[in-house]
Amino acid sequence: MTVRAGLRGAALVSGLTDLLGEDKVLGTREDLLIYEYDGAVDTATPDAVVLPIDTTDVAKLSRFCHQHGVPIVPRGAGTGLSGGAIPVEGGVVVSFARMSRILEIDVANLRAVVQPGLVNLHLSTAAAPHGLYFVPDPSSQKACTIGGNVAENSGGPHTLAYGVTTNHVTGLEIVLSDGTVVRLGGKAVEYEGYDLIGAFVGSEGTLGIVTEVTVRLTPLPEDKRTILAAFPTMDGASETVSAIIAAGIVPSAIELMDQLATEAVEAAVGAGYPLDAGGILLMEVDGLRDGLDDAATRIEDICRANGATTVRRAATTLERDRLWAGRKGAFAAMGRLAPAYYVQDGVIPRTRLPGVLRIVREVAERHGVRIANVFHAGDGNLHPLILFANESELEGVKQAGLEILEACVAAGGSITGEHGVGMEKNCFMPLQFSADDIATMGRVKAVFDPAGLANPGKIFPTPSRCREFQLAARR
Amino acid sequence: MTVATARIQPADAAACARAVAEAAGASRTLRIRGAGTKDHIGDLLPTDAVLDTTALAGVVAHVPADLTVTVAAGTRFADLRDALALAGQFLPLDPPYADAATIGGIVAANSTGFWRARYGGVRDLLIGTTAVLGDGTIARSGGRVVKNVAGYDLNKLFVGSLGTLGVIVECTFKVLPRPPVSAGAHARFKRGADAFAVADAIVRTSARPAALAISGGPDSAWELLVQADGDAAPVARTLDLLDQAARTHGASAQRHDGVPAVLETLNEVSIRAEGTVVRAALPLAAQPAFAAAAARLEGFTQLVADAASGIVRVALRGEDAVVLGGTDALLAAAHVCGGSARVERRPESLRARLGAWGDAEPAGRFLMHRLKEAFDPRGILEPGRSAAG
Repeated sequence: MTVRAGLRGAALVSGLTDLLGEDKVLGTREDLLIYEYDGAVDTATPDAVVLPIDTTDVAKLSRFCHQHGVPIVPRGAGTGLSGGAIPVEGGVVVSFARMSRILEIDVANLRAVVQPGLVNLHLSTAAAPHGLYFVPDPSSQKACTIGGNVAENSGGPHTLAYGVTTNHVTGLEIVLSDGTVVRLGGKAVEYEGYDLIGAFVGSEGTLGIVTEVTVRLTPLPEDKRTILAAFPTMDGASETVSAIIAAGIVPSAIELMDQLATEAVEAAVGAGYPLDAGGILLMEVDGLRDGLDDAATRIEDICRANGATTVRRAATTLERDRLWAGRKGAFAAMGRLAPAYYVQDGVIPRTRLPGVLRIVREVAERHGVRIANVFHAGDGNLHPLILFANESELEGVKQAGLEILEACVAAGGSITGEHGVGMEKNCFMPLQFSADDIATMGRVKAVFDPAGLANPGKIFPTPSRCREFQLAARR
Repeated sequence: MTVATARIQPADAAACARAVAEAAGASRTLRIRGAGTKDHIGDLLPTDAVLDTTALAGVVAHVPADLTVTVAAGTRFADLRDALALAGQFLPLDPPYADAATIGGIVAANSTGFWRARYGGVRDLLIGTTAVLGDGTIARSGGRVVKNVAGYDLNKLFVGSLGTLGVIVECTFKVLPRPPVSAGAHARFKRGADAFAVADAIVRTSARPAALAISGGPDSAWELLVQADGDAAPVARTLDLLDQAARTHGASAQRHDGVPAVLETLNEVSIRAEGTVVRAALPLAAQPAFAAAAARLEGFTQLVADAASGIVRVALRGEDAVVLGGTDALLAAAHVCGGSARVERRPESLRARLGAWGDAEPAGRFLMHRLKEAFDPRGILEPGRSAAG
């Protein structure tokens, strides 16, 4: 770990306290410990934590940190799965716990203006009385924040048909690392000039800090049909995904779960998934009520033709919610199988699913680990959950993860579909991109954050932490 | 427009990179041009040479079951359309001048049509870009998978950049199966406000029509045209929704056999209309008032709105002073109601007095300037053409 914060420890905490007041700054060892981890496996302790209440606080804080050479790391709910909120180079963690309000639900323009600390699901709940919702629905949506969604360009099961976070953001207020406040876009679908919002969404806090977000709200579907299909093998389930697409059907969600994942989910949630299936597909079609039953029937027929042993359509909203509770609670359910897991997020062209899933099985055998698979099959976005018990196993587990990502890239895919690169995969960026590609991203970084203080140590390979990986790659 | 003398026509990314690096070394400015269907967009300053992209042609990869296609940027949209149709698929964009326009031009000009209502715009469909930056660097962003957050999403920066950040050489898009049914209907209203109200009623359902277009003129009725794509049952229901909503505003819907052909004509208003065309992107609810203000202008000849996206084009014609006054009023009105606007077409006689971008600065313009400098340090790519500088 490189720690390079200019101002550190008690001096930093007292400087921040003078600047923002005691009630907005945390600096004791006990307080800081809570902020040293997120949803992934890496940890680092911040020098201080700041809890701003408005954009002015963030701008003041940024100016101060710029003056003193202190890194700034934004944090929403800490549900991130790539170490994005971990202060790997020290500095200040900015928690948005007190900037969590909905500023406006603009029904006429189908927009909402929100603060970054707002919990994802709270927005859809507040919009529901107007017949509207916010489309991106990460499985952590009960906890994760809109600011975090913007930083990671989060997805979720229903992004297959309706897009990820970037497709639903039209305006941002950002604070650059020198304290400059910039408002981009607004409530129209686009604005003249370069699409800076498009570059900013998914930049993982490395271009600046989001302090306000304008998002699209979408009319709720009139109705939905949710189908569960169980297959004897994972191959059968994953080949069915391609068969559905080939038939010209694009459901709003196609999720896949293997037997190990099913076992955990049933123990934790009791979603009613068959325990004897090798692979389970959870699919949904939605929109106008008309024709939904026909579309569902066609999907069910394709499942049966591809060897499904059980095909079940949710008859009630309650039953549908139960099926989805199983999927959305799957990561948390891993606790039933092992004390810890390491999740990867590689993406492959969906026709390569059967082959790459076989490689995942081989990796598990080679490393003597158990891997559960729960993922967005329609997008080809894998989520292999590598189970482990002790910290001593972590190196081997990470190596297994790397081998899976190598297989994804070799299949023409990506090292991350929705969890972000963070500090977890920054050393792997050269698997997917040339030195010129990464240097071009570096030019964008320098435009927004010339001082390099915005969430340093993320996305870009760093010489100190990545040397080992580069040596290994050369061998 | 000044006729540039030199013409460069690279046949692959490496040749393009060499040509751009050479131009940068000599500080020779370049116009990036495909089929030349976008010469009316932006402020065209003279350049030393034209980089012609049309030799960068052909479908590079198409795996139908992956629902993605990779295509060289100089490929004509029509050729890509034909190639995808063989697999029963389509790239759900309906850009103006679709028969001639190239993929690179469509991306660089962010050229969309009414289908944006259902399928999204260029930014929503483009998942991978290879571009040659102003110093000859070949930069790749995104990839060939539909979901990808590895590194910055540079695809978005090239969409609408008008060639000022780099020469787009290859693009990867999401594609879709062609809908089993496409059908259309229209309804006519005396007042523009009624057409917008009916469109709004449909926008608030989950019908997601492919097109929701409004057209009006100084002496004609206001027409709302709907295209619905999908299975037969939801398509029929969508057209029923139009009829029901139209009846509450004293009109009724007429069904078409297939898709209303006039949609394509309306989509091309910026080249078909004589005179000057202002294009505004507005918050949805601002459209009726903006349309009413436009209709009151002297010289008003036509308004075409993509009512589901808030993109409104207004054509003006008349004495120079009338057109200049009307244009100013429209640019200001778009800004006041929280949107933005540009002059998308103007007669040669007004070119010197009427810039493409009006007086309003895009938010974050200093960042755009820095970005331009970072991607094109010698300032050789389409100097001055974009609102970003």
